[in-house]
Amino acid sequence: MKIHSLRARIIVFFVMLLVTVQAVLFVLVSVSGRRVAEQVIGDELVTGERIFERLVVQSTNRLADAARLLASDFGFRTAVATHDVATIASALANHGRRIDASVVMLASLDGGLIADTLWGSTTRDPVFPLPSMLDTARASGRASGIVLLDGRPYQVVVVPVLAPTPIAWVAMGFAIDDRTAADLQSVAALEVSFLSRTADGRWTLHASTLPPQIRGRLASRRGELEGMSRLSSMTLVDEEYQTLVPVLGESPEGRVVALLQRSKREALEPFDRVRAILSGLGLASLVFTVLGSVIIARGISRPVSRLAEAARGIRDGDYTQKVKVETQDEIGGLADSFNHMLDGIVGRESKILRLAYEDSLTGLPNRARFREAVRDGLVTARRTSGALSVLILDLDRFKAINDSLGHPAGDEVLRIVACRLRETIAEDDMVARLGGDEFAILLHGGVGEHVKEVTERIFARLREPIDLDGQPVDVGASIGIAYHPTHGDDPDLLMLRADVAMYDAKRGHAGCATYDVRNEDGRRHHLSLLGELRRAVERDELSVHYQPKLDLRTGGIHHAEALVRWIHPERGFVSPGEFIPFAEQTGYIRELTRWVVARVIRQVDEWRARGLEVRVSVNISTRDLMSDDLVPEVERAMARGGTPPGLLCFEVTESGVMEDPARALATLDRIHALGIRLSVDDFGTGYSSLAYLKKLPVQELKIDRSFVMHMADDANDATLVRTTIELGHNLGLEVVAEGIEDEPSLALLKAFGCDQVQGYLIAKPMPADRFEAWMLERTATATLSPALPDLSSPRTRLSA
Amino acid sequence: MTRRHGPTARRRLLCWTVALCAVLTGSGCPLAATLVATVTAADGTPVPQVVIHAMPVSGKLPATPPKAAQMDQVDKEFVPFVQPVQMGAAVTFPNKDNIRHHVYSFSPAKTFELKLYSGTSAKPVVFDKPGPVTLGCNIHDWMVGHLYVVEGPWFTKTGKDGKGGIDLPAGEYLVKVWHPWMKDEPAPVRIKAEAAGDLATAFRIALTPPPAITHDKR
Repeated sequence: MKIHSLRARIIVFFVMLLVTVQAVLFVLVSVSGRRVAEQVIGDELVTGERIFERLVVQSTNRLADAARLLASDFGFRTAVATHDVATIASALANHGRRIDASVVMLASLDGGLIADTLWGSTTRDPVFPLPSMLDTARASGRASGIVLLDGRPYQVVVVPVLAPTPIAWVAMGFAIDDRTAADLQSVAALEVSFLSRTADGRWTLHASTLPPQIRGRLASRRGELEGMSRLSSMTLVDEEYQTLVPVLGESPEGRVVALLQRSKREALEPFDRVRAILSGLGLASLVFTVLGSVIIARGISRPVSRLAEAARGIRDGDYTQKVKVETQDEIGGLADSFNHMLDGIVGRESKILRLAYEDSLTGLPNRARFREAVRDGLVTARRTSGALSVLILDLDRFKAINDSLGHPAGDEVLRIVACRLRETIAEDDMVARLGGDEFAILLHGGVGEHVKEVTERIFARLREPIDLDGQPVDVGASIGIAYHPTHGDDPDLLMLRADVAMYDAKRGHAGCATYDVRNEDGRRHHLSLLGELRRAVERDELSVHYQPKLDLRTGGIHHAEALVRWIHPERGFVSPGEFIPFAEQTGYIRELTRWVVARVIRQVDEWRARGLEVRVSVNISTRDLMSDDLVPEVERAMARGGTPPGLLCFEVTESGVMEDPARALATLDRIHALGIRLSVDDFGTGYSSLAYLKKLPVQELKIDRSFVMHMADDANDATLVRTTIELGHNLGLEVVAEGIEDEPSLALLKAFGCDQVQGYLIAKPMPADRFEAWMLERTATATLSPALPDLSSPRTRLSA
Repeated sequence: MTRRHGPTARRRLLCWTVALCAVLTGSGCPLAATLVATVTAADGTPVPQVVIHAMPVSGKLPATPPKAAQMDQVDKEFVPFVQPVQMGAAVTFPNKDNIRHHVYSFSPAKTFELKLYSGTSAKPVVFDKPGPVTLGCNIHDWMVGHLYVVEGPWFTKTGKDGKGGIDLPAGEYLVKVWHPWMKDEPAPVRIKAEAAGDLATAFRIALTPPPAITHDKR
């Protein structure tokens, strides 16, 4: 049986313990009590025997004294000497009466019976009935013993009548009868019986103190005495007696024995009383133990149950239930600890919740919380057929702020932006920080105008310069918008699409863009892009396209930029803007760069072999600059084909260098040492100082397309481009403008003295074979009409 | 002891008398022979205090007047323990102790009682029947003395060497011995005494001392 309840176990343990102890005690008391009782009985019997022996000695002495007194009486002696039988008989009777003797006899020296008090002269037997005693008396002067006389037991003493030599024998005796037994019983407190066995083996019960019924039973069982040991047990009428059988007298006439008995029941009575008390005590203590155990166990188990219940409550998230245990004991302490633990859990859980759902920097909800809010919002919107919009906001040039002013400043900017965003939107809408400089806004209610209004408010608020310790800082932002239900019915999808829109906005410097389903191509599964990118390299889905750079001074084409193109077997064209950032994020860009570099070197070698010398620029990512194995690999690749380093140019971004300038510089120095030309890409988008630019071993500046694209319409941009060109030239650098798409811009750049231009106006990026053909064609054209402006041909091609 | 005549002295005296008689008369005096009886126990040790009594087979006894005898009481004992006396002898019981004695006898040969007295009792007791007379003192139970009353003058008592001698005139005799502790009386020995001839005879007797009756001798 298994007992699960603590209370039951406590009770069962104590009860079992008590019962065991009691039982053992009871058995011990019973066993030892019985043993002690038997011992005591044995001792009592032996003592009784000794008492009896003492009584016998006393009686003997009394008899002997009386007999001797009689024998020495001169008158009696005279009577004996003169055979005066009548006088003798009266003297015998007289002296017998004095000590209440049962029998007095006078025997002649030759064993005749002269006179007696028992039978009188009428039944007188002329022979003394105890000849054996006479023999003893003759031998030792006197005799005494317990003998059978006339079939009955007597204690008899025989002494001589001296005159002065023996002239006769006086025998005097007491009958051993009920009175003797009673006397002995009164002294020894034992049941006493006297039995005899005659020479012919017949047992007779003569006297007993036993009650008549038992006495009768004893009489009927006297035969058993024959083989009985001295000390034994005897049961008479349901009464068990410990019995001692001392032999009192043994003579030719027969044997006389005493039966000393003690009732075991009587002797055991005190022990039975003790046992009864023990039983009562045991029962009482059992009851008290059960009661006590129940109380104690309840005192333990009830609070424990309460604790368990409270623990269950906590498991189910109910933190309101405190354990109420008033006791001051360990359980009370446990309950206290439990309550403290509960407080701790509540505190920690709220903190964890906060951490889980809150952005610690700005105090805004985090991505997870935002996602939930969108989900909840979607649920409501679906029910009410309402609308909902998700906005993703990313700060422009935040990285530059971080890099130039330090992270604390960046954090401060984020906090201020967060605060402003929060102020801008309605109470039931939500602003969250997704991470970095990326925020998300959930707008309930209408789409279109309402959202536009909000974005305008946001832009207005963000345009206000941020004051950082007295230094004003401008922050711009790009916002992508996705609507429910138009753009999705799922938080993740909405957020993704808003993100895509944001990137579109950022790329287009549009400030704000709504998700356009047309831009969806290749983006839908960009999470799987990386894996596909890896496969793309293996499956040769990637290719390198080359975009020529026009030398404005000579009008010739001597340079081209290598651009990776990915034609996905299912999706078709995948924009580099889509997969390059992922490659950079995951570090796969390194492999990609190596692949491109290797491909370009091979291509350059091929072209060179065919007489076409083109310097190809390859974009090197930040990660490449941080990697030590780029340079040796490039070196090896070049060594294979004996590629002149002058035919290679590595374009690095400003921000790429700024991330870890020292390390980047070291790599750049090594590249430069190889003789490879270096160019700073996207110049103008970062915050790099010109002084720092001077330190770099670069030979070329590339003005970012964002400045070039609108320079024809925007005087500021034009000025910026011109200044940059001049600046570059002043630093001894060649200046390349990219993203040129119209003639006016080309004219301006030419006027500004820009060294090279690149863009759709000149030519789109082309596969190697087409590039080669294009070049050949162009060279042919140039050869045919060298005076012709270079620009018509690509344009024609473009339009074609 | 001084009052007792040792057998040796007596015999020596007799010899001298007989010799003197023979020298003086030369004849006529009846011849006398000396009988020496030796009494030993079963183990051969000599038994003293045994009465030796010779009775003429003819039954003729001389008319010798019995000699007086006495039985002293010394230190609460009868002295001597055994005293043979000739029938008709008067025996005195002088009390040599400074306490009184009460001498009695329930013996068939002579029953008497000398009530409490000290010194010599007033009248001697005459023992006129042959046989043993056991003497007791009613005051002191342990005091036992024996008179052995015999017919005729020819008796004596063994000494420490178990020998006793009797001068007998010539003739035939039955010689008997007696001792109070003797269980069975040995058969009398018939002897023939002749003139000037020494006779010797021997008796072997078994004695059973009575059970010691413990009494403080006070």
